[in-house]
Amino acid sequence: MFKKYLLGLASITLFFTFISTVNAAEPNYTITTDATYAPFTFQDKHSNYVGIEQETMKAIAKREGFTYTMKPMSFNSAAQLVSNGQADGIIAGMSITPERKEVYDFSTPYYKTGVAWIVKKDSKIKSLKELKGQTVALKTGTAASEYGKSLQSKYGFKVKYFNDTDTMYNDVVVGNSVATFEDMPVIQYAIKNGMALKVMNAANPGNAGWYGFAVEKGKNKALLQSFNRGFAAIKKDGTYNKIVTKYLGATQSTFSGSKKDNGSILGILRSNQSALLKGLWQTIELTFIAILLASIWGILLGVLGVSEYKWLRAVSTTIIYVFRGLPLMVLAFFIYIGLPGVTGVKIPAFTAGIITLILNEGAYTAAFVRGGFEAVDRGQMEAARSLGLPYNTAMRKVIMPQGLRIMVPSFINQFIITLKDTSILSAIGLLELTQTGTLIVARNSQGFRVWAIIAIIYLVIITLLTWLSNWIEKKLK
Amino acid sequence: MSEAQTKSKIHVDKVNKSYGENHVLRDISLDINQNEVVVMIGPSGSGKSTFLRMLNQLEKPDNGTIIVDGFDISEKATDINKVRENIGMVFQNFNLFNNYTVLENIMLAPVELGKMDKAAAEKKARELLDTVGLVDKADVSVNSLSGGQKQRVAIARALAMEPDVMLFDEPTSALDPEMVGDVLEVMKNLADSGMTMIIVTHEMGFAKQVADRVVFFESGKIQESGSPEQVFNQPKNERLQEFLSKVMHA
Ligand SMILES: Nc1ncnc2c1ncn2[C@@H]1O[C@H](COP(=O)(O)OP(=O)(O)OP(=O)(O)O)[C@@H](O)[C@H]1O
Ligand SMILES: [Mg+2]
Repeated sequence: MFKKYLLGLASITLFFTFISTVNAAEPNYTITTDATYAPFTFQDKHSNYVGIEQETMKAIAKREGFTYTMKPMSFNSAAQLVSNGQADGIIAGMSITPERKEVYDFSTPYYKTGVAWIVKKDSKIKSLKELKGQTVALKTGTAASEYGKSLQSKYGFKVKYFNDTDTMYNDVVVGNSVATFEDMPVIQYAIKNGMALKVMNAANPGNAGWYGFAVEKGKNKALLQSFNRGFAAIKKDGTYNKIVTKYLGATQSTFSGSKKDNGSILGILRSNQSALLKGLWQTIELTFIAILLASIWGILLGVLGVSEYKWLRAVSTTIIYVFRGLPLMVLAFFIYIGLPGVTGVKIPAFTAGIITLILNEGAYTAAFVRGGFEAVDRGQMEAARSLGLPYNTAMRKVIMPQGLRIMVPSFINQFIITLKDTSILSAIGLLELTQTGTLIVARNSQGFRVWAIIAIIYLVIITLLTWLSNWIEKKLK
Repeated sequence: MSEAQTKSKIHVDKVNKSYGENHVLRDISLDINQNEVVVMIGPSGSGKSTFLRMLNQLEKPDNGTIIVDGFDISEKATDINKVRENIGMVFQNFNLFNNYTVLENIMLAPVELGKMDKAAAEKKARELLDTVGLVDKADVSVNSLSGGQKQRVAIARALAMEPDVMLFDEPTSALDPEMVGDVLEVMKNLADSGMTMIIVTHEMGFAKQVADRVVFFESGKIQESGSPEQVFNQPKNERLQEFLSKVMHA
């Protein structure tokens, strides 16, 4: 049994070494972005990342002769990853503000913007004063939300925060919030593409400012210079203007698919088949690796929890307490964004996600494993010990086989929870099923249909997983 | 060591045990000789089980000395597992290993502890099942046995380690009346074969029949001890008299 644990540990170590070597071999820049930010960055109907920023970046890289890997995630994560050195640069509709200049070095501004305040298309609201006591939707960490927040005390509205643009818009469309603040070009593009909202201050945007490409302050000077040089060149020869016109003049079907594609669940399924399959595969991969490793780790911790020695039990209890207590998302952010800032070691999102799941699900597993062992009648242990069997032999031969049998339903339950918890990892940019859904909705605004599809896919996998678990349970008996 | 200590199989000297405020054993001293059968009686909560479980360290005494087979088991350095191999124990609730068959229950300890190889252990197990009259149950799951059968398997399991002391804690209390006889018979045969036995029981008839000595526990003390003849027919201690009048007329 102990040998098996060692093997398990060894394979975990190998697995992470493997992943980090792959990462270290990449010679190019890592650029983060927020892919729910049309027309600047979004996913088109072929699951490619497109938009003004994406094409600008591509043109500049080509001209300057560098390569890069684009990592889409929530704006907040995207920004933090650059500020702590995990990624090299960010291009994500980032307004240049004095506060941000403390943390980042900005390129020459590439787009002039300002903040719009927005209500539902058929809303009767005429002025900001009417927002008093009402709820306003804001996106965390953006300059537009800062602006909105700065008006809060003056106009007396309540604030509700969102992590991506599209969910925020929809909150206003369905009437949960009465208004929102967003960068002018972004909302204009969304309205043009059918979002049922209207801009109230098109003539005089608030906080007029500029978008810039950013790197961590004092770092990546070469990249910043390349960007500036390249941007000057594509502006001069008209490439940049062409890009902007292409996106601001585009109609919905150009990028998000035709009415036919988006008007029905089948159409959405067909036009997003490859993206959904990729997301599904990533979810399955995360789930199975996490289930396997978290179970090994959980059993190990649970066994420590019923050790003969008090201090080992204390170690186990403490670990379980800490990792059961931490919300999964906090743990994911801590591992993916927090730790590398201190240790300087970059962790790929997938690895960070797996570690997060191992620690969290492992703690829950350990708790019921320990509980299962403790639930075995005390007399079993006493009888074994009275025969002269040492504690460990008694555990291994008598208590554990009985305890594990008690735990089977808990294991199945934990597997299903693990599957659902993988969706939380969309927060660190893992392109699993939920994040895939977010990106599709950001493009085609078909919230109801897309989320219904995603929900059904989850239910189907959960059903299959339950069947598989029950089958294994039967085999064990 | 004194004369008594070297000769006796089990030597207990001034043992005390408390659970919090509850002083369960008070200055208990007792010597048990090789081949002796000692029966312990006494009211519920008087400390009989606690005393018995102390003899193989399932409970630790707060102070005092316990010497079994010349090993001081109250010493930290003593390998308690080795000592336990020589002391079989039979519990009120059988405590058969639920995850094994009858045969596996009996073979587990001898094989795991390297006392016998598998073949020898199986041979021994079948012999023991024969003595307890359950040879045909060798391969069934223990959960399918009746209480009386379970207890006889439990005795066989303890005997598989070839102990020279056997402890019994109310081995027939959880049994239906018609099962009691089979178990007592196995125990009687064991006593006749010369096994050193310490038995906690409420079966007074059985005690009279097999005991060399009867020990009466009350309030954590040995109030009286002597031959069955003395204890049952001429009890001196008032509490013993009271106890006997209750159980005999129950
Ligand atoms: N693990 C324990 N923790 C606390 N108190 C205990 C424990 N084990 C026994 N006791 C207490 O010690 C006292 C003696 O218990 P013990 O089981 O030795 O009595 P007994 O003579 O065997 O009684 P019975 O005939 O009911 O089995 C009782 O008051 C009991 O409640
Ligand atoms: Mg008792």
